[in-house]
Amino acid sequence: MILRKSILRQFKEKKFQYFGVIILLMLSIMLYVSMSMGISTLDNRNDQFKEEFMQEDFHMILANKLSSDQLEKWEKEYNLSLEERLYGDVSYKDSDTTLRLFSKTTEINIPYASKGKLPEEAGEVALSPVFAKAHNIAVGDEIDINNRTLQVTGFMYIPDYIYVLERESDLLSDPNTFGIGMTAENTLQSITDKTVAQILGHGTSDEESNTFKSAVTENYSLLKWMNQEENPRIQFVESEIESSETMITTLPLFILALSVLMVLMIMKRRLEMQRKEIGTMKALGYRNRELTKYYMTYATIIGLIGSFLGVAAGAGLSIPITDLYSNYFNLPSISYFDWDPKVLVIGFFVPNVILLIMTYFVIRKPLQQSPLDLLRPKDTSKGKKSLLERFPIMNKGSFISRFRIRLLARSKARAFYILLGVMFSSILLIFGATMYKGMDGIVNSTYKDIMTYNYAAHYKSLQQADTDQGESPFTVAEAEITRINGEKAKTIEQQSMIYGIEPETEHIQLQNVDGKLLNSTLKNGVVVSEPFASALGLSKGDTITLKNAYNNKTIKKEVTGIAKVFIGFSIYSEREEINEFLGYPKGVYTAKWTEALPEYSEDVLFIEDKQDIIENFESTSSLTRYSVFGIAGFAFLIGVIVLTLITNLIVEENSPSISLFKVMGYNDKEISRLIINVYTPIVLLGFILSVPIGILSIDQLMNSIVEQTGFAMPVQLNWLMILVSLVIILLTYYVSVFFSRRKLKNVSLQEALKKQQD
Amino acid sequence: MSIVLSNVNKIYQSGEVTVHALKNTSIEIADKQIVAILGPSGSGKSTLLNVIGGIDRHDEGEITVHDNKLTKMKDKELTEYRRHTLGFIFQQYNLMPTLTVEENVEVGRELSQNPLKMKDTLEKVGMWDKKDKFPYQLSGGEQQRVAIARALIKNPRVLLCDEPTGALDEETGKKILSLLKYVNEAYGTTVCIITHNNGIGEMAHKVVRMKSGEIIEHYYNEKPVDPEKVKWV
Repeated sequence: MILRKSILRQFKEKKFQYFGVIILLMLSIMLYVSMSMGISTLDNRNDQFKEEFMQEDFHMILANKLSSDQLEKWEKEYNLSLEERLYGDVSYKDSDTTLRLFSKTTEINIPYASKGKLPEEAGEVALSPVFAKAHNIAVGDEIDINNRTLQVTGFMYIPDYIYVLERESDLLSDPNTFGIGMTAENTLQSITDKTVAQILGHGTSDEESNTFKSAVTENYSLLKWMNQEENPRIQFVESEIESSETMITTLPLFILALSVLMVLMIMKRRLEMQRKEIGTMKALGYRNRELTKYYMTYATIIGLIGSFLGVAAGAGLSIPITDLYSNYFNLPSISYFDWDPKVLVIGFFVPNVILLIMTYFVIRKPLQQSPLDLLRPKDTSKGKKSLLERFPIMNKGSFISRFRIRLLARSKARAFYILLGVMFSSILLIFGATMYKGMDGIVNSTYKDIMTYNYAAHYKSLQQADTDQGESPFTVAEAEITRINGEKAKTIEQQSMIYGIEPETEHIQLQNVDGKLLNSTLKNGVVVSEPFASALGLSKGDTITLKNAYNNKTIKKEVTGIAKVFIGFSIYSEREEINEFLGYPKGVYTAKWTEALPEYSEDVLFIEDKQDIIENFESTSSLTRYSVFGIAGFAFLIGVIVLTLITNLIVEENSPSISLFKVMGYNDKEISRLIINVYTPIVLLGFILSVPIGILSIDQLMNSIVEQTGFAMPVQLNWLMILVSLVIILLTYYVSVFFSRRKLKNVSLQEALKKQQD
Repeated sequence: MSIVLSNVNKIYQSGEVTVHALKNTSIEIADKQIVAILGPSGSGKSTLLNVIGGIDRHDEGEITVHDNKLTKMKDKELTEYRRHTLGFIFQQYNLMPTLTVEENVEVGRELSQNPLKMKDTLEKVGMWDKKDKFPYQLSGGEQQRVAIARALIKNPRVLLCDEPTGALDEETGKKILSLLKYVNEAYGTTVCIITHNNGIGEMAHKVVRMKSGEIIEHYYNEKPVDPEKVKWV
């Protein structure tokens, strides 16, 4: 069809318009494909690693040393695999960096060597690659630990430390301050005498493992039991995969909507401009089907180029994204690049189908008009006042202001598109700014306002000795909320803990969002953490039924407040009540908060250093802060493309008026004020609307994924952040105005007047 | 007969205003003739051309063009009728600005089952040398030549020309009229020209005068003059 030749020339003539929408479409598809394929590869790697390297189903720590005979006996009796593994924490180089060394296992949590080999001889060690990279250690290097020199034989991964957290309550992993390694058992024991024996279990269902656990508790003092589903080091990657799905589709869908809308506006404009040509072709005998095909070719070309580039760029980008995720999660690259045909098909076809269907509906109506109607000028439909213009207030003011109002009122679709574009960019910015501030809020509220202690010592057995000045005893145990106000509660897949504390302690100051101290209310009930309240929809006054994981005993308690503890699923109650609930003797405790560093003794299971947690958090949250800059840059890019496209279209549409203004003696600046800057109030309106929407959406998002992440985000946005976001949006707008002014300058007088004559 | 109209009525309703654009119009146009339809603005001549061309529908009466009974035709059939029977020439040429001269003519050629040869057609209208030019690089007369070539290449039986010289000066206009006469003679195409330029009637075989939607006069010219000799009004 000869008409197709004109399409390529149109693309060349309006290259900015078409290039802009292609870029928008490409960005949308690229985001979807790269993130989906990255996540899909990550998922495959995770599944493969879990399966082939025998990820544990649970692990436990007992107060007593077990004989290998006992393990064998249990294995036979409960038809499962058990293996003992030792671990010990040692300082690497300085006291701020901890290296957790494990003994080598052969049946469960089998290590995977990604480079070099696993340690075989005494004095050899294999390290996790992220830790080695963070500390510039290469295979073959020697490292000094506790005055002992170890040779690094290789890099390794273990399936129960996919997310390398020092403590299960940690939020972020930081290879600068914590890493894992593997060495021979005798080497480990020669380096540190503070080793802990874990019993790893595999090959059992939840039900069977519960039966086994009950059997263990009958005869042994169980210090810790952790199912795979509750282990954040294992579950975090799965949570990330699950929670990413929302982002993977939402963000690209918004950009897709913006690009499709832009294509539709361009098509509508094209049809309006080519009215007479369409009429002529219809008069010559062209069929509707042929003309529809011709106009659909525009959308097809945009769709095909955009989706091809998007899929290609997305597939390429998925490799570094997968690597980034894999490093973040310490997952070996067992599979390098998994082509997920579903993602490719969706990424390629869905945008094209949407684009073509929408374009068809936009072009159908004008093409169905009779040739005579199309050949006539569209004057009859012009010149009518819109509803907005009929308000008396719209007819007051100077000519310039009335002209501007009319232009706005008569181009509602353009104004709406600008509003959408600005809102999209603004919401992204507000989202980023809230995350930025939220990270600070998590630390400040949880670790500075509420947890005022410096250290927490956790014991292997129940303690009875009086605590010293500056120490507060507490009992901590695993527990779950089974009922809320008599109704069955949702099951939280992550580990939830109950803390029995002294209400008068100074080391934990439970406060609600209004800053009211809740410790005294523990006499009447329990206080729950924000993530718990958010995940289960708990509020003050609710009655909850608690079940502990040790003896399955239940108690009913009233929720007396929600504390600004933003990390973890925690319940706080009085210590004596919890001791009774757990069946412990009166006055005992399992851990204590201290101001000074507690001494290590045989009884100490581990010591938690709050400062370490904060530093760890702050060091790794810098990644999030950088990502905020990424989000801001992305928002700016999308904003500039969207606004420049639309203001260019506005200049094109108004070229007869622009030409007339030029003839009358208006200068470019004045014309720009009349035609382009008209949309400044829309930009401001878009931004203002975005602030509550952005905050609300991040709140909703965080609530929807709190169960997977285990932390809530305090939604804080200060005026400075709002101002910075506004400046970025205005900058975006004025950059697009700048580009459009150049187009406005190029409007030729004769050409524009000729268009008007036509 | 090439075109037969019998008691054709066309009424436009615009708000409360009713315009009787064609009143009981009956006319017969023989095959291979040049017909000039003359009349002032609002006389109904454009409406007459539009209903003959099947781009507008009449309310009453019968129209037959080369055995095509337009009265009963559906939109799709009218499209096929225009595609295979007619050629249109407009006052403002209506060329595709993004296509070259040759490509614009190709737009017409690909509609026809029996098209003329491209080179022949463009040579006939004197535009072969400028076949690679775009419309904006051409004068008004040249653009109208391209529009004639676009209509002509389909090898239509009827050529409907809506004020084909309306936007041209006398010298160029006469050249275009000569071209239309040539098309009529060389290809046997029936040519209907509507114009308010009475002088053009002198070159036609048949002249139809209209006023207020009615045919007030129609006659045959015994000796149509050469287009170069028409009085330019």
